[in-house]
Amino acid sequence: MKTNPLAEALQDIGLRVSSIAALVLAWWLMSLIFPPTLVPKPWETFAEVGTIITTGDFFVEMGSTLRRVLVGFALAMVVSVPLGIVMGTLRNLESFFEPPIILGLTMPGLIWAVLMIMFFGLTETSAYAAVAITILPMLAISIWQGTKSIDKDLIDMSQVFHASPWSKVVDVILPQLISHILAAIRYGLGLAWKVVVVVEMFGLSNGVGYQVVRGFNVFSMKTVLAWAITFLIVMIVIEFGIIGWLERAVTRWRPRVEAWRR
Amino acid sequence: MAYVSVKGAVKFFPREDGTEMMILDRVSFETKEHGITCLLGPSGCGKSTLLNVVAGLERLDQGNVAVISNHRDSGKKPPQLGYVFQDPRLLNWKRVEDNLVFALKGMGVPRIEWQERMQKYLALAGLDEFRKQYPLYLSGGMRQRVGLARALAIEPEVLLMDEPYSKLDQLTARKLREDTLAICARLRQTALLVTHDVEEAAYMGDRIVILSARPGRVMEIFENPLPPVERDMDELPFIRFKKNLLQSVLRVVRQEVRA
Repeated sequence: MKTNPLAEALQDIGLRVSSIAALVLAWWLMSLIFPPTLVPKPWETFAEVGTIITTGDFFVEMGSTLRRVLVGFALAMVVSVPLGIVMGTLRNLESFFEPPIILGLTMPGLIWAVLMIMFFGLTETSAYAAVAITILPMLAISIWQGTKSIDKDLIDMSQVFHASPWSKVVDVILPQLISHILAAIRYGLGLAWKVVVVVEMFGLSNGVGYQVVRGFNVFSMKTVLAWAITFLIVMIVIEFGIIGWLERAVTRWRPRVEAWRR
Repeated sequence: MAYVSVKGAVKFFPREDGTEMMILDRVSFETKEHGITCLLGPSGCGKSTLLNVVAGLERLDQGNVAVISNHRDSGKKPPQLGYVFQDPRLLNWKRVEDNLVFALKGMGVPRIEWQERMQKYLALAGLDEFRKQYPLYLSGGMRQRVGLARALAIEPEVLLMDEPYSKLDQLTARKLREDTLAICARLRQTALLVTHDVEEAAYMGDRIVILSARPGRVMEIFENPLPPVERDMDELPFIRFKKNLLQSVLRVVRQEVRA
């Protein structure tokens, strides 16, 4: 069946916009029931978002938060990708690293945040460390399990053609892990945001988390929600803009699956 | 000059209950230089295992396999072997030409030769216009051609082929057999082809080694009286040779059933 790519893209955008519109509608209905101190009107909150953005607070505060997320996330990736590959390919190291990874996974992010603040003090380092250490086990597990499911026949093929260990990792193993890495990036970023906000609430004097606490201290639901929305906007840009683009770029070789098309 | 010499090859595989099952039983033969040798036998007789031993992917329990070449000091350097697998085993995330580069790079072919080799072998395999394509956008037959081009591009001493046509439809497989035979004859390529298809063995093989059912033993070795250019599947000389070969295979099967 011939498809029109423009119509398909428009339909896709339409579905996403209506999904968000439905959420706003539900919010508005709730604001009719509850007092404005508990559930403010959506447009009043959006106006607050506008103020946050136009005064420039948004860029300063979000910049700090983003930097903490990205540095912590990058640290976790640099460690977890090789660790996951090693665990998936070498049995001895798998047995050695499995217990700390599983233990790390069960530790709540809040506890890591407290521990890091106690260890590094009220510094940027605590935020980087808390983010990195909280998401590292989850990323490593994802890469480790992905590595176990890679195609052994391709490893044999690379052996026949005398591929170097580096080429085996870069040309054969990593591309097979791309779906796992992308999923890990998505989960990891989600988790990183949650942890960084906690660290900012506890011990830092800027960032979105800090602003949310300020809103909380004056019991301004509108301010708390407005900052939460700016957060969502950035997440949407990262998810659909950056990660979506990255996904399309690295999976261009794969024809799209249209399981339900008749 | 290059050929494969197999002497007294014995191989066991572990069973789930901890015992061992014999796969190959004292297999000895030599492949034909500058020609295709077919290993013909029923499924499970160890022919693919033997090919993997030649490729260095598995080890024998007894006996030895050597790739003899006078271009290379056999003791020092590993043999240059091209392998065409049953599934093409391509790197689907790399374009056709980059799949060839992967093999060329691994085999230590100087970068300056890559372009020329790619051009030559992609053209030989009929893939000229598909060099920038990703494999998953090609048909099964075309993907198998990429596998063939990749194996040939390294200019191997011996080309190994493991039932490369068994998953293709009849017409595609027939065309690919014709092309592979012509290419190997033109390049005077020494090759070892594993198959369970008597007609394929009769068509492709200059020498045909018949293996028994598991454990694989060499039952008979045939020399094909027809040169590659005279192997026309619809002509009488080929049909006659195929019949002889089939009778030998059936004799082997009957003997085994009696035993």
